[in-house]
Amino acid sequence: MKKFLAIILSLAMMLSLVSFTAFAEDIESIIQQAEQMTNEELYKKAIEESNGQILYGIGNSSRGKTAGASFVEKLKSIDPNYTGTIEWSQPKNNSIFTTLNADIKSAQHIYSMTLIQDGNQIQSKMVNTGNLLNFIPLDWKNAEGVDVEGAGNPLTLQTLNKVFMVNNTDGTAINNAWEFVAEGSAPLFMGVNSELVGKNFLYMLTHEKYANYMKAAFDALSDDQKAYFQPIVDEVSADADALGLTAENAAYSLAWIKLWCEQYTEDTDDGPICATLVSKSAAGQSGLLVYSKLRSIEESAESSVNNVVISAYQDDYVGIGGYGYRHYLQVVKTAPLPWTACAFISYMVTEKEGFAAWGKDMGGYSPNPAVMQDHSQDGFVDGVDTFPAKNDRGYEWWVAEDGGQLVIEDPEYCSMVSFDLGDWIDMIVGNK
Amino acid sequence: MQNTIKPSGFKIFTNRVVTYFRKPQNAILLVLGILLTVSTVAPMISILKDSVSVHVGSVDSHYTGLTEGYTTYNWVDLFTGRMAKINLWIPLWNSVLLSIFACIGSIAYGGTFAYLVTRTNLKFKKYLSSIFIFPYIMPQWTLAVVWQNMFNSRAVTKTADGLFASVFGIAMPDWWCTGMFPSAVVLALHYAPFAYILIGGIFRNMDANLEEAATILNTPRWKTFLRITLPLVKPAILSTILLVFSSAMGSYPVPHYLKLTTLCTKYVEMGAKRAGQASILAIIMIFIGFIIFFINQRTTSGRKSFTTVTGKSGQSSEVNLGKIGKYAIAILFILLTLFTGIVPIITFAVETFLPNPGDYSFLTKGIAGNMTTKWWLTAENITESGLYGQMGLLYNSTIWNAFKGTLIVAFACSFFAGTIGTLTGYSVSKNRHSKWAAYVNNMAFLPYLMPSLAVGVAFFIFGSSAGIFNTYFLLILAGTIKYIPFASRSSLNSMLQLSNEIEEAAVIQNIPWHKRMFNIIIPIQKSSIISGYMLPFMTAIRELTLFMLLCSQTKIITTLLDYFDEMGLYAFSSGINLILIVFILICNMLLNKLTGASLDKGIGGD
Repeated sequence: MKKFLAIILSLAMMLSLVSFTAFAEDIESIIQQAEQMTNEELYKKAIEESNGQILYGIGNSSRGKTAGASFVEKLKSIDPNYTGTIEWSQPKNNSIFTTLNADIKSAQHIYSMTLIQDGNQIQSKMVNTGNLLNFIPLDWKNAEGVDVEGAGNPLTLQTLNKVFMVNNTDGTAINNAWEFVAEGSAPLFMGVNSELVGKNFLYMLTHEKYANYMKAAFDALSDDQKAYFQPIVDEVSADADALGLTAENAAYSLAWIKLWCEQYTEDTDDGPICATLVSKSAAGQSGLLVYSKLRSIEESAESSVNNVVISAYQDDYVGIGGYGYRHYLQVVKTAPLPWTACAFISYMVTEKEGFAAWGKDMGGYSPNPAVMQDHSQDGFVDGVDTFPAKNDRGYEWWVAEDGGQLVIEDPEYCSMVSFDLGDWIDMIVGNK
Repeated sequence: MQNTIKPSGFKIFTNRVVTYFRKPQNAILLVLGILLTVSTVAPMISILKDSVSVHVGSVDSHYTGLTEGYTTYNWVDLFTGRMAKINLWIPLWNSVLLSIFACIGSIAYGGTFAYLVTRTNLKFKKYLSSIFIFPYIMPQWTLAVVWQNMFNSRAVTKTADGLFASVFGIAMPDWWCTGMFPSAVVLALHYAPFAYILIGGIFRNMDANLEEAATILNTPRWKTFLRITLPLVKPAILSTILLVFSSAMGSYPVPHYLKLTTLCTKYVEMGAKRAGQASILAIIMIFIGFIIFFINQRTTSGRKSFTTVTGKSGQSSEVNLGKIGKYAIAILFILLTLFTGIVPIITFAVETFLPNPGDYSFLTKGIAGNMTTKWWLTAENITESGLYGQMGLLYNSTIWNAFKGTLIVAFACSFFAGTIGTLTGYSVSKNRHSKWAAYVNNMAFLPYLMPSLAVGVAFFIFGSSAGIFNTYFLLILAGTIKYIPFASRSSLNSMLQLSNEIEEAAVIQNIPWHKRMFNIIIPIQKSSIISGYMLPFMTAIRELTLFMLLCSQTKIITTLLDYFDEMGLYAFSSGINLILIVFILICNMLLNKLTGASLDKGIGGD
């Protein structure tokens, strides 16, 4: 009896393993074919595959729902009899990874594609394991101005920026990134463990490129300011070696990270941070938050966009202006509707209507210039520059060394340093 | 010669089985025993397994070099690693303290109130009884958000000024604004109605004969209270301690919003890099629950069974608070409940008319024009209306679909948990000396000892593998299992007070079981049984922690409410809160009209 049971169990395991592998291979081969197709061809395949069915997508952005509805309309414009729909869900906190992994392991797969953030976990939990598959649409690859190498793997929907803002209604001026961690400063920020892209920003600061930015900003400080920060740099320089950080100026970044973690004021989201920052009672307060949050502020006696300035836009400002994190689009390796998933992804990255859900706001930048909208005059009202803080200077300016010096997330670097450096950061936050 | 016919062993056995199952309570116990064992033990096993499993992308995989299989790394690292103090000991200490303070606060406040309403001549009982349960109707973290909006200040919390600082210019100290104190106060206020319902139910149903006997014997009132009244309500107090302690320990949103690191907040934080160690935190919470449970078992093992509801009529006597006392104490409670029940509702209502979240310029600057109806009446989301891409409350299909989802889940959980719990309480009380009955009773209660988050994770793993993730079925299943204890405790407490003679009289008359239940047992214990249905209903309506991993954020109203709160869109979350409160009050009123019972009326609201 025991032998019989063992044989049955082994057979079942082998069968599930074989079918699982076959599933992944099928999807990979579909992706390979899809990468050779134009949007038109892809849409036809999607109509064929998902007519009358529901494509389940999961993402960190609720706007996937709007994009989904727009995509369905697109397919209906090609075939009026198309009755497929897109069901979009946005799981809480960090559970998107658990949800996707559980779905992949389950007997009945639900999700076909995902819009996902946090390059570190994507790399370590999804890309390294092969649970998510990359798809590069042909029309996107061929579009003018697209950096296929920089944004193709994993495929980037957009880069979002979080920028330093200061409520200067009391005349407060912050001219150097180091001043955000000066004595008494307590900038508003989402907790590093509640939104992990914030932690990735801190990891990225230790990268050679950004450590050099930090050192350059340090050099621009006054002697008094240097005298305050130098002992902290010296204190953590041993940690830089222990953590295996290779950047020459890593100690400067670590010192900044240490002070930042000790001093930032945590809030649950950038929404409340923005609402706080633009109010008069927050005079002198600063924050690091999603740029586009400014769009929804209604002018009142207490709140105004003009109560804040974007630090990087100030002429005499030195240092990083914030950080950029990415929304990636991926196909789930067990996708029930892979053709539709590929078509939907292609729609979002190549067509203006597909990206419109995100493109309508400043602070979100598609790698495909064709789908981008201009936000350089969002602060203009009736031709008058009324809210200068809303005039987005664009991605190229933000990432330039002589521009916004935005710290851009690199999944591979983050996943490489995250374990030891992550604990180092958690120790500081935990001992606050 | 006389032949003796020996019955076969099989025949005797089947006869015994048939006789055993002729008693409905035995059949119920068997079915429930099996059902509850499977549904409570399986999640525990899954969490235990997770704590020793390798998680790719987590520390266990990184430091052991394994990509699959099992390891003890998580246990060793959590207890002895460099992060042990931060990841385990501090959160553990805070969780235990928070639970203790919440127990003390809720029992002192709710128990005192229950006594005053049921056993004294306090004035305005009807109003007070209704308003007292408001904090329990509201999702627990809404009081935390109200606390923030009231006491935050630029000077102390480094945020914008809250109402207190804006209007009075007073900045409350940091210990008042964040951490242990506000978390404990908010949870105590939230669970005080719970203590009121449980303890008040016993106070009200208690026969006053014993107290009257003591009075006749000239026993001082305080002695009567300590020697007679208190021992009679001891089971209810212990039940309250058990429920509040476990609930407070399993509470995620309150400490999260008020910035206190507990096992729950740490559990969520650690999920990304230390998933296996997060599971150990859940195991620790369950273990603490077990300790409390066994303490309770020891404490109550020698307790006598008090039959306080008999066939004889019993009137509870009222303690006279004095001419001034009955008004003075009532006014004190009116003021207290004003802050816990009325002020939050007013702030919710006001919040839905502010131009920006937390922008009280209409009040601080005296400009009435700085109020808006956009959060209610905006019917499109194409143009930028300062609603962060959302439509107004009245036109927001996401909100109304989520509300519909919540109703489905709450009604189903209430029905299944209430019925199973009531049957458990009835069957256990009928077999109170049976070991199997004690086992079933314990198994029915076990889910409550598990923190909601841990149960959520277990059902999430189960639901995903069964392909039912993000379905109502999964939510109802998890909710039912988790809420059975509400009904079983409430039912058992009252059934134990019910004299067997009452049902025996009907049995002698050959009245069938269902008629005995519907015509005798249920009418007598109506208030407790209705509590057994209403508590799961109300809890499911405002449950977040249990469900947050089981569905997308727009599936039910609480996950959506939390989403809006986290996003700082307080107008939406306040509007949803108002809708929830109004809905529950309407339900309570309808119930009152239809059955003559209600959540608070059974205690003292009439």
